[in-house]
Amino acid sequence: MPKGSCGIAALATAALACLPAAAQTAAPRTAVGMPDLQGIWQARNAASFDVAEVAEGREIPYRADALEREQKADRVDPVAHCAMAGVPRITYMPFPFQIIQRPGIVVFVYEYLHQHRIVHTEPREHLEGIDFWLGDSVGRWEGDTLAIDVTNLGDKTWLDSARHTHSDALHVVERYTRTGPGTIRYEAAIEDPKTYTRPWKIAMLLHRHAEPGFELMEQECTEGDDGRAIHPYYRPAPKGDPLEFVRTYPKEVSK
Amino acid sequence: MRSVGHPGCGLVPRASWPVGFAIGLLSALCVLPAPAAAQSAAKAEAYTPPRTPEGLPDLEGIWQPRTSGAAYSILPHPGGFFLGAESKTGVVEGGVLPYQPWAAEQVKQLTQHMELDPTGHCHYEGVPHAMYFGFQLFETPKQIAILHENMHAWRIIYMDGSPHPKGYAAWMGDSRGYWEGSTLVVDVADFNDKSVFDMAGHFHSDAMHVVERFIPVDRDTISYQITVEDPKVFTRPWKMGFPLKRAAKDYQMLESGCFEGERDQAHLKEGIATLPPDHYKQ
Repeated sequence: MPKGSCGIAALATAALACLPAAAQTAAPRTAVGMPDLQGIWQARNAASFDVAEVAEGREIPYRADALEREQKADRVDPVAHCAMAGVPRITYMPFPFQIIQRPGIVVFVYEYLHQHRIVHTEPREHLEGIDFWLGDSVGRWEGDTLAIDVTNLGDKTWLDSARHTHSDALHVVERYTRTGPGTIRYEAAIEDPKTYTRPWKIAMLLHRHAEPGFELMEQECTEGDDGRAIHPYYRPAPKGDPLEFVRTYPKEVSK
Repeated sequence: MRSVGHPGCGLVPRASWPVGFAIGLLSALCVLPAPAAAQSAAKAEAYTPPRTPEGLPDLEGIWQPRTSGAAYSILPHPGGFFLGAESKTGVVEGGVLPYQPWAAEQVKQLTQHMELDPTGHCHYEGVPHAMYFGFQLFETPKQIAILHENMHAWRIIYMDGSPHPKGYAAWMGDSRGYWEGSTLVVDVADFNDKSVFDMAGHFHSDAMHVVERFIPVDRDTISYQITVEDPKVFTRPWKMGFPLKRAAKDYQMLESGCFEGERDQAHLKEGIATLPPDHYKQ
């Protein structure tokens, strides 16, 4: 929502949206007066290895049948095959990303696997009948908070390398709020009625890279053509005893 | 070396000496790109693009190149599965690439081994190869971002006068730019030696240095002109270029995944069978 529309009175939703803007006048602004999230950011946690670490209550409310589905699923982390990481995982991959803002557009440029998202902050319906690794993103401003509604994510991505999966019914609402010169609070509300018993949330701080001259670099994954060639220990577990894979782990690595 | 099929010159089969001599002169004249280049330069000067909110020449938007099938070959080429649609002109000025003799042999090898084409393995195309595909350009005072739909590649062009980093080698190189009036000039260096110019296997070394010029011609057109130098592979610098056209108003970039488990590059070898034996004459 553009800053100017706060002048329009009365609509309850508009009034709600205006409150935080009035309260946080110190938040930096872009050249056209939008809350400024620009810069290079990175999560400093292990969420990409186990997302439960940043989950509210440290718990992921799995449905029993979803847990069973997950246990039977492929044991190879899709990112080991150089697949794009999905949302919200791309945000907390242990790599920096850059936010660039233009009027009506917020651009996310990720170092990890040279991915990017172009998020328009105008309301529209989600696309139908098509899935994307990074989903279909529709942005909006809630005061100083950038909220992004993400659907169309498919069922191929994982939330982390600990095999926390989801179905194609995944719906994520991300919220980015500048909390200081060097931090953004990142929150993602996650719902997927085919997988979880209730909606749940993750939250973390994103830290600004303020080192002089810090720039994103090129990160390429497919060199070697196949994730398994790069990561032999990611090969699928043998059928039968699932723990055999763990027991043979050092041997697998040394091959 | 002679130009094959430059615009307006036509393809003329072998002829007896006097006719051949005349054709030689004619094609030499045709090689001169002067009228077209002069025209676009004059147009560019006549056109001043609007400004961004920060006061920069506004080249923002989604741009779609018109490349005469450069992704298949940047040189004039016949049609066919591998080389795509026929192009009598290609995009290289003069229609020839000034390879050193060893490099010309290497190209023949690469042409016959299309399965080695790194883009078939979902790698970055590199520069200028990535520019044959649509992209969206975003300008900030210190950085310009080019985001490609294809291969979800991106490039950030640093506009703060900083130098290229040392000891860095990347598929997309390292881009540092500046404004010459309304023209965006980008100096690209720090390439690796893995990317190619096209599917036909035209290649470069890690010594490649590219200077790109984005010359605004009118609201919906940018003339994209580049100079390539690579003393390890070519005998002299050479130029290529093509127009970029603004995409329709409601056009949006979508996601292109590319690497989704492809392990079937071998079938591309079949494509080579469709190549005519004399697909290049240099």
